[in-house]
Amino acid sequence: MQDVESASAPLLSDAIDLGYLDPDQARFSQTPGGFLALNYKGADYPRVSVRRSLPLAMPNEYLSLADPEGKEIAILRDLSRLDADQRGLVEAELARRYYCPNVVDVKSVKDQLGYVYFELTVQGAGAPSARMCAVKDVNKNIRMLSDDDVIMFDVDGNRYRIPSLKALNAKSRKRLEPYLF
Amino acid sequence: MDKIDLAFTLDESMRPVDGRLTFDGEGVITVRENGERTRSLSAKDAKEAQVLGGVGCALILLTYENAPDIALARFDMSRLKAAGEWCKIVNHAIETGKPAFDDAIEPEVCEKCGKTLPEGMRVCPFCFSKTGLLKRVWSLMKPFRREAIISEAFIALSGVIYLSVPVLNRVLIDNYLAPRLGTAAQIMLLAGFMFLARAIGEVIFVLSSRVYARVGTLFSNHLRDLAYAKIQKLSMTALGRRTPGELIRRVMEDTVTIKDFLTDYGRWMVDMGLMFIASMVILALTNWRLTLLVFAPIPIVVVALYRFRSMIHIRYERQWRKNSRAQSILHDIIKGIRTVKSFGAEDREIAKFAGVSKDLAQVMTNNETMWALLFPAVTFFSGIGEFMVLYIGGKWILGGSLSLGVLVQFTMFLGYIYQPLRWLVSFPRMLADAMTSLVKMFEILDEEADIQETALSKDADVSGGVDYQSVSFGYKSYEPVLKEVSFTIEPGEMIGIVGKSGAGKSTLINLMLRLYDPNTGRITLSGEDLRAVSPRLLHEKAGVVFQDTFLFAGTIYDNILYAKPDATAAEVIAACVAANAHDFIMKSADGYDTLIGESGYSLSGGERQRLAIARAIIKHPRLLILDEATSSLDLETESIIQDSLNNLTRKRTTIAIAHRLSTLRAANRLIVLDKGRIAEMGDHMQLLRRKGIYYKLVMAQRQTNKAAG
Repeated sequence: MQDVESASAPLLSDAIDLGYLDPDQARFSQTPGGFLALNYKGADYPRVSVRRSLPLAMPNEYLSLADPEGKEIAILRDLSRLDADQRGLVEAELARRYYCPNVVDVKSVKDQLGYVYFELTVQGAGAPSARMCAVKDVNKNIRMLSDDDVIMFDVDGNRYRIPSLKALNAKSRKRLEPYLF
Repeated sequence: MDKIDLAFTLDESMRPVDGRLTFDGEGVITVRENGERTRSLSAKDAKEAQVLGGVGCALILLTYENAPDIALARFDMSRLKAAGEWCKIVNHAIETGKPAFDDAIEPEVCEKCGKTLPEGMRVCPFCFSKTGLLKRVWSLMKPFRREAIISEAFIALSGVIYLSVPVLNRVLIDNYLAPRLGTAAQIMLLAGFMFLARAIGEVIFVLSSRVYARVGTLFSNHLRDLAYAKIQKLSMTALGRRTPGELIRRVMEDTVTIKDFLTDYGRWMVDMGLMFIASMVILALTNWRLTLLVFAPIPIVVVALYRFRSMIHIRYERQWRKNSRAQSILHDIIKGIRTVKSFGAEDREIAKFAGVSKDLAQVMTNNETMWALLFPAVTFFSGIGEFMVLYIGGKWILGGSLSLGVLVQFTMFLGYIYQPLRWLVSFPRMLADAMTSLVKMFEILDEEADIQETALSKDADVSGGVDYQSVSFGYKSYEPVLKEVSFTIEPGEMIGIVGKSGAGKSTLINLMLRLYDPNTGRITLSGEDLRAVSPRLLHEKAGVVFQDTFLFAGTIYDNILYAKPDATAAEVIAACVAANAHDFIMKSADGYDTLIGESGYSLSGGERQRLAIARAIIKHPRLLILDEATSSLDLETESIIQDSLNNLTRKRTTIAIAHRLSTLRAANRLIVLDKGRIAEMGDHMQLLRRKGIYYKLVMAQRQTNKAAG
């Protein structure tokens, strides 16, 4: 019943032009200043930002390309629609904008005065590094994205991800356990 | 100091790095990564240094007029504030040509251990001393100290009286009963003593409890008053850091936690400790060998309790969180019930809440089950001592090396010794909760007012003009909202402020009201630097209407009086007539006595705004600030109000923000803001002729009006 309905009902996304990027007319390049540049339909954009519409749910789809003023140039429907070298450039820019290293070890947890202090070893790109972070309102700032996937936000606005709790060592998991629910 | 350093943490590929960004007196910026220089460039050709926020990270970049931007350094969010400071110093040097290194960029660190303090936290969680905290509570308790001490003394006294009962018991058994020597009168006397001791102890206990309960309530009341008074005095900057819910929790909940701790635990601390030590001493003096037996299981009990404690803590924490989640869902849905119904989502919401509720029930059941098992277990283990005393003591009695009275005395004392131990199960958790509440409370009490109302603060003279002198300001120091804004308003002028959303219009007004102070530059009012003017007196004299008007629960009349408590009825009605509110007020049965607010008559957006305008003009202020004050009104009502305001405004300085440009047609001058800077300034005709931003805005609105009309 529902299927019939949705098949016949017109969708809003068909009625509104989202301005999808035409990969054939786009040329990304890396600037010496450390930014991503874009030539699209003949226009030059010396600095574009790539913003995820759904950073957690669909990190590689619906990527908004915008100029430094925040004006959207186009939406890249899916990263996989770019060829390898172009995709590499956009991925590098995403990595520079979205920094969320993975937690590989939880050395200690200290609950004090309404803050929870985590002594972590985190790993993003490059070597693992030690990190001390404070989390306020654990309720709000440690989120289970699924049964196994956790994201934490510290008081400074840093983010840490535990992509798989099961893959974390047992001691770390035990230390985190009280704050997950 | 001749240079300014900023540590950064990530390289261009987002790998961790020990980076250093240096700006020296020669205007040269040097980037070092792991001690090696990777880049060196002059700031002189640059336009601006900027912090660009990412997600979980940020970077500093240098922009140029005619060259591509350069990313200088990338870092995680912990460096964000320092990076903003660094950019400010560089930009100052770029603009003025003179570098000023007045202060080093240091994150707030603990004076003792040097660790970075979490944002908004003044107390280092690693160094904070519980004794320091308790000392502070002690000094806050000053007004109630005498009563608290008296109450504690009484509790101790009742404890001592209780302790005499087992001793009397031993005397009774050993001296009179066992040898069958006593007379009925002697036994009566001893029994009478015991009865009396119990009775006196009970009476004293009741009395002291009453005193203590009073002290606890008075103390929490005192704390509540202090916190509330402090919150009223805090600046908008400080208040902006906390949500209203958090502030309400501080005032209402934390004070109760502290009170509960003091009344439920504080007074027992002395009592339990005293009973424990006194019992131990008496027992040891009576028979030291048996005393050793009593204490044998104590280490086991303590260790067991300690282990259970963390388990219990975690479980109850989880239950508490589930509970608060269920509550917040409930709160949300009931508040938004209209939306839920309008989407026909009732069933979905019922299912959602049922799920959460079931979850909570599960956790609660688990916890109750565990508790039901655990508590008897702890009691049982701590009772092991009792069995040992009975068994070995009994053997000694049969062997003749111990008297019956001593054994009875011991078993009676056991309760006094084990009771404090059992009490220890919940004590640490309660202590931790109370500590947390206390620290949070003290954080508010210690908050230094960003905007200092000193004794020197002058009365506000709002009759003169207003002068902005290269004012820059940002709610976060690294994100300027207003940049180098300068203009003058003559007394009696009406100024309109125009610009897109986010251009800084409301911020401009917030600064004029001294809700915030500018980061750089200054504002003068009637020639007086605003920093010297008392914000309270300024607010009393200026009339302000915000877009989101807040009306308090009460009558319409009371709400208008809020601005001028001594106003006469004639003044109130006049204000409402001028604000075109009189007619709709008179339509309701109770007129000006109509109750509004949460439990009363609900007003439309336009009606609220008209009341807010009436409230602002009742003081007949010389300075009137209207921030989108008529945005919810139809054009006709707006122009009626405008006309009546214009009649009043002869000698009044008016500053008005409006999106609808027709609102500002009477303005002497218009200031057009764009991205925090003044883009255009002049009267309506001048600006139209310029064909700039204002022209575009007017044309766009004409188009929409035509389309709508």
